[in-house]
Amino acid sequence: MNETRPLTHRRSRKAWLRENLSGYIFVAPYVIGLIVFFTFPLVFSLRISFGDYQLARGGYTITPTGLSNYYKVLFEEVDFTQAFVNAIVDTLIDTPLIVVFSLILSVMLNRRMPAKGLFRTIFFLPFLLGSGYVMKQLLGMNVNESAMSMARGIIFPIQVQEYIGPAATKVAMGFLSRITLILWRCGVPIVLFLSGLQSIPVSLYEAGMVDGATEWEKFWKITVPMISPVMLLVMVYTVIDSFTDASNPMVDMFYTRAFEKLEYSLSAAMSWMYFGFILLLVLLIFLVMRRFIYSEHDTRA
Amino acid sequence: MKGRRAWHWLQYRVLQNGKRIFSVLMLLFLMTVSFVFLYPFLYMLVTSIKSYADLNDVSINWIPRTPTLRNYAQAWEILEYPRHFMISLGLTAACIAAKIFVSSFIAYGFARYRFVGRGPLFAMVILTMIVPTQTILLPQYIQFSHMGWVKTALPILIPQLFGLGLRGGIFIFLFRQFFLGIPKSLEEAARLDGCGPVGTYLRISLPAAQSAIIITIVLAMVWCWNDYYEAQIYLKDMSSWPLPKMLQQVYYYYEAYRNPSGISASNYNLASQIRTMDAATLEKKIVSEGTLMAATFLVILPVLIAYAFLQRRFIQGIERSGLVD
Repeated sequence: MNETRPLTHRRSRKAWLRENLSGYIFVAPYVIGLIVFFTFPLVFSLRISFGDYQLARGGYTITPTGLSNYYKVLFEEVDFTQAFVNAIVDTLIDTPLIVVFSLILSVMLNRRMPAKGLFRTIFFLPFLLGSGYVMKQLLGMNVNESAMSMARGIIFPIQVQEYIGPAATKVAMGFLSRITLILWRCGVPIVLFLSGLQSIPVSLYEAGMVDGATEWEKFWKITVPMISPVMLLVMVYTVIDSFTDASNPMVDMFYTRAFEKLEYSLSAAMSWMYFGFILLLVLLIFLVMRRFIYSEHDTRA
Repeated sequence: MKGRRAWHWLQYRVLQNGKRIFSVLMLLFLMTVSFVFLYPFLYMLVTSIKSYADLNDVSINWIPRTPTLRNYAQAWEILEYPRHFMISLGLTAACIAAKIFVSSFIAYGFARYRFVGRGPLFAMVILTMIVPTQTILLPQYIQFSHMGWVKTALPILIPQLFGLGLRGGIFIFLFRQFFLGIPKSLEEAARLDGCGPVGTYLRISLPAAQSAIIITIVLAMVWCWNDYYEAQIYLKDMSSWPLPKMLQQVYYYYEAYRNPSGISASNYNLASQIRTMDAATLEKKIVSEGTLMAATFLVILPVLIAYAFLQRRFIQGIERSGLVD
């Protein structure tokens, strides 16, 4: 704005200064917090991961050991590699399913229908339990599996189960209990999608109707492109959420390693590899999705 | 002419019926899915009123034969509910207040001013969301123990005063999106009337951000209330634990009763007591699955009640906030 206005050199400089100063007033707390509570620990933990951290009298010592912690984690810690691969596979399966399910559900909830408010409330409920020990409890009781055992009788009558054999039944039930878990994690994505659906201009749908588009065509030609930025947001949210949630076994492992087995350096190396992978995945999602996202901002700016 | 008209009419009717059938099918589908969403609550409620006999009776699935409130009394006692409820309430209230005022303050700077380094700094906001807390846990622990903050709630609260801690980045992101979406004209009017930047934020922008505030309250409430990870690291004394951490305690008792012979050393006393109990004492004292579910329900109940009050405005707020525009 300031650059376009014809101002004298001194005035524009003053305005520039004022703009900067005001901005810094607002973000100053964040900069301080970022240095003290984020950057410092982050660098410190990177240092620990490249050395051998030991508690010594009155403090600690870090003997640099190069990459040996990372080597150990990769090739000698079998349970880490196992859990890591599991976490990756889980995320790669769950994320697309969560995006698809929550999009379908929110498109339905966005239509004119009875008891819309009730459904919206219900679909957000598991989120209230979701992120903490409570959900961990319920999962410990195999609630996700028993939720589907109700459906078992309907979807898999006993005859079918006998016919396909116990092994196949187990696979199918595993799949169903996974779906339950995925549905329970749809709360925030549904909310985000609903918000996005509301901001699609009605005029687009009216134009589609005038041109004789069917519901199906309208969904693919209007809703999906217009909602694609939200899709990116949901994907990133889901990936981060599933990787950093306290009920993730990996996260437990870092804690046990550092605070119970006192293997600080190994724990640091593990968590850095983990973080590196998340960062990579998020960047990849951004890069891939950028090609598919419909953006208004090019014309707006 | 007439035939053609009838044909159109028929087409219209078929289409309308098709739509109606589709609506009914959709409603049925949503109801089925709703059941899956409601299931954990139903399970929790039903199990929590089952007596010991009911729990052991495989023929009882949904309707307990001898419903009892004994589990709730026991859970209330183990959780030391009033005391730990107040602790959780205090932590959560502080957390919500910090998220509303601090995050919106910082976000306002990001949304309204073009200062040097804005882009990289905002990238840091995103980065704080991505870094798992566990990566920086140990250095933070060392840092806080140097400051003498361990065993207090300060390590949980102070970072929040700077817009960090417990998904701080998400809230800054949310408020920034919101501020970007509201027109500047009101603020400009206030500026002309002689309001400074901070004054404008306090008097105009923050009050205008009501729907973002409601969303912040709901999200921060759920995340703070349920968080036990930081509490488990910094709060060592049982007397200062928040409710979810106490729930973990109930779970340990439950484990001890379920499997008294294969128990870790920490619960050794309890385990040996359990092994010597006769059946009648055991039935009286047991921490059963019912107790665990009653405790879980008691822990989550305040959030459910608060959400019931906020729910309507929350949903409206999301629709109107331009959260993801």
